[in-house]
Amino acid sequence: MNKFMTKKSLLISLIVSLALIIAGAFIAGFLGFNPDSTTKDYAVIEVSDSGYMSLEEDFRNQLQDFCQKKIEAKYAVADTKYSESTSAGGSIEYVLTSGTPNNEFLLSLRTSIDESGIEGIETAGVSVSLHFVENHAFTEYIWRTAIGMGVALVLLFVYVAIRFKVGMGVSALIAAIHDVLLTLAVIALLRIPAGIALIGVAAFSLLLSIVLNLIVFGRMRADFRADEKNAIPAKEAVSGSVSASLKNVLTVSIALAAAIVLFGVIGAIIGMDLLTIMLCALMSVVVSTYSSLILTPAIYARMKEKSDANKAEKAKYNYSSDKKLEKEEKSSAKKVAEEV
Amino acid sequence: MGKKKSVALIVIVTIVLVALLFISVTPSFYVSTAEKFNSLLSIVDLGSDLGGGYYTVYYPEGVISQSEYEALEAEYNEAVEQAKQEVGEGYTEEDVGVDNPAETYLAYKGIYLSEDICDKDESGNPTGEDFAVFQSEFDKAFRAISSRFESKGFIGYSIKLQDDYTIRVEIPYSDEQANELFDRFAYSGTLLFTDDNATSPNEMKGDSAHVKGAEAVETNDGGYAVAINLTKQGRKEFKAITQAISSAASESGSSSGGTLYIKVGDEVLTQATVSSALDQDVVYISGAYSTRDAAQTIACVINSTLNEDMIFDLQLDASQIFTLAPTMGEYAALIIAIAFAVLIVAMFIYSIVRFKGMGLAHIYGFMTYALIFVLCISLIPMMCVDISGVIAIALSAAIMVFFNYYAFRNIREEFATGKTLTASIKAGYKKSLAFTIDAHIILVLAALVMFLISTATVRYMALIFLIGTVISAACTLAITRFYLYMFLAQPKNKIAFCNLRREETEDE
Repeated sequence: MNKFMTKKSLLISLIVSLALIIAGAFIAGFLGFNPDSTTKDYAVIEVSDSGYMSLEEDFRNQLQDFCQKKIEAKYAVADTKYSESTSAGGSIEYVLTSGTPNNEFLLSLRTSIDESGIEGIETAGVSVSLHFVENHAFTEYIWRTAIGMGVALVLLFVYVAIRFKVGMGVSALIAAIHDVLLTLAVIALLRIPAGIALIGVAAFSLLLSIVLNLIVFGRMRADFRADEKNAIPAKEAVSGSVSASLKNVLTVSIALAAAIVLFGVIGAIIGMDLLTIMLCALMSVVVSTYSSLILTPAIYARMKEKSDANKAEKAKYNYSSDKKLEKEEKSSAKKVAEEV
Repeated sequence: MGKKKSVALIVIVTIVLVALLFISVTPSFYVSTAEKFNSLLSIVDLGSDLGGGYYTVYYPEGVISQSEYEALEAEYNEAVEQAKQEVGEGYTEEDVGVDNPAETYLAYKGIYLSEDICDKDESGNPTGEDFAVFQSEFDKAFRAISSRFESKGFIGYSIKLQDDYTIRVEIPYSDEQANELFDRFAYSGTLLFTDDNATSPNEMKGDSAHVKGAEAVETNDGGYAVAINLTKQGRKEFKAITQAISSAASESGSSSGGTLYIKVGDEVLTQATVSSALDQDVVYISGAYSTRDAAQTIACVINSTLNEDMIFDLQLDASQIFTLAPTMGEYAALIIAIAFAVLIVAMFIYSIVRFKGMGLAHIYGFMTYALIFVLCISLIPMMCVDISGVIAIALSAAIMVFFNYYAFRNIREEFATGKTLTASIKAGYKKSLAFTIDAHIILVLAALVMFLISTATVRYMALIFLIGTVISAACTLAITRFYLYMFLAQPKNKIAFCNLRREETEDE
């Protein structure tokens, strides 16, 4: 029998999960999730002009490199973005990771640009400014997604309870809630940078949890139809089904993890946001795999054990009523004999 | 299935799949000097994280940018020089004729605040009653702008506060004109239904007492309209003003009717021709919208004006609109597509090695799944892919692969028990049928619910997953099985073709 099926293991799993979820909620509540570049508040130095840099690529490249060197000499630059106006003008933004440049620095940058000798600088009309950008939370998006996921959970429970078993429905529901919350908690605890796509990861976590748990429950449903499986103890039967579905669960998990790791590696090369969001998705795969193979079967085994015990209790032959019946028959026979 | 029929089917299916693959992934090229071939993948709408978009910064009236300030400064300096030349060193401000921006504007972070909206305190910070009013109106404007963009449901958009008193908005590329969208979403003031008659205007207030809400709807002729839901009182008053407008039009001899303007503040949001009195709960304004997006923009503005907390009295200027590079990197979408191709090839090799003939059927099945998926993603107007959509595609593909493998394993198990190949295939598919259907149904339900309730990224992600799951169900249950029968007609040793083995029994 699987050693994770014991009451002690289940208790430890639940306590660890609960502790992680509470700690994650605490961190997320007080510090929030670690924002990625799309949701981070940042300071940006903007070098813009009236349109020359969109016409002359060489000029723009020289200006961009010149400013980058000047700014990086004093501040850490996280990202450099060039944008073109749809009417006229271009803008190079240097996103700073730390430090706040003062007016003197901006003035010196402006002066050094004017004196840089880059061809066309006199006609470009370059302007330098510093902006502070503050992120705004997407409240409607978050609460509507939460409601959507809540309704999906209810549907999951109802469907699994009808098509599989009520106990499996309850276990799938617990697993789905557990997986989404634990994924978010781990992301908050490990301070993995995450932006608005984190809500997409939460939805992915829910869908993946449904898939992996259904693979295990599908196997259990097929196994428990066989008479020989009904004869063995609940924990052993559940454990057997989990072992049989291990390969299937791992097929999906490994295939997804491979895709996620590959995208993550690409992210490490082309953009950190892609890497961090793939790390979040990988957390989701790990959590859902763990819960479908260890936690959910352990919860369902406890339920099945109780359900089997109840069934056995109901199926027991009622000796007391037999004796009562015998007694009544005897007394009625006695009465008849007396009357005769 | 006969061998000849099988060969014909294999040829036809292969040609169709290759043709679909060609139109799906071939890089764009010019067919003639004027016409260009664009592959299906190249026309997929992408979120701003993978495909970039536009951004603008809304400047409220009384707030200007650094470059505008510098232009005013240059103008002032030029005027001073001219005054010096004309009057000499003893020139006065009147001689200059232009306000000194250093005196009329206050530098605040990366912007400049006009003295019309604030005073300067001792430490040089903005203060005063006017400034308090400005702050209050700006807060309302920020709420309204946020609400309008949020209800528009863009995939991967963002709204940020820049320098405390300007609003930076980033949106993905769409069919809608970005400048029109940014302008309309900046309209300030209350909603008004009017004929704009200067002498005796017929008007109806567009508040929550008169209007329940607005939405974009499709019309019978394939176009789009804005449907405005009226309250009882709204219906009554709307009937009265449309009656008045149509009567006035017929009195003036117009056969087409009068014009009803729907205005937000001083700006005309939309307009409609009225030829008779309209007495209905829902009013449809059509004719001007070729896309749902355009109609939805009008509906979003109307809905935000129904909330009193979002009615603001502040002019917002979004004159500069910039193109925005993909936030995940310039070539993120292309590299992700290549990564998918690498994973698919790896999966194909594994399938062939592990399941041989069944693996070949799986490859054809998966190709069909992938190509139908690409068709849906590129041709369904509502589809848009961002990084969450990429994850949904990966999950959907993994499910499709899993259920095919699951059926093949069941076929193997059945064959191992001693059944014939045909009986094993039938029994294997029968064994996996219930679970495959159950899993797909619950996933479709979950995705459908999230698509209907959620917005933005998750809405699009759910839609992608929903379509992927439906295609996966069809390909797993029917198409791959059909391909398996199609290929099985060819080999002499069908058992070896499917890489099947009997259970080994010990001889006594």
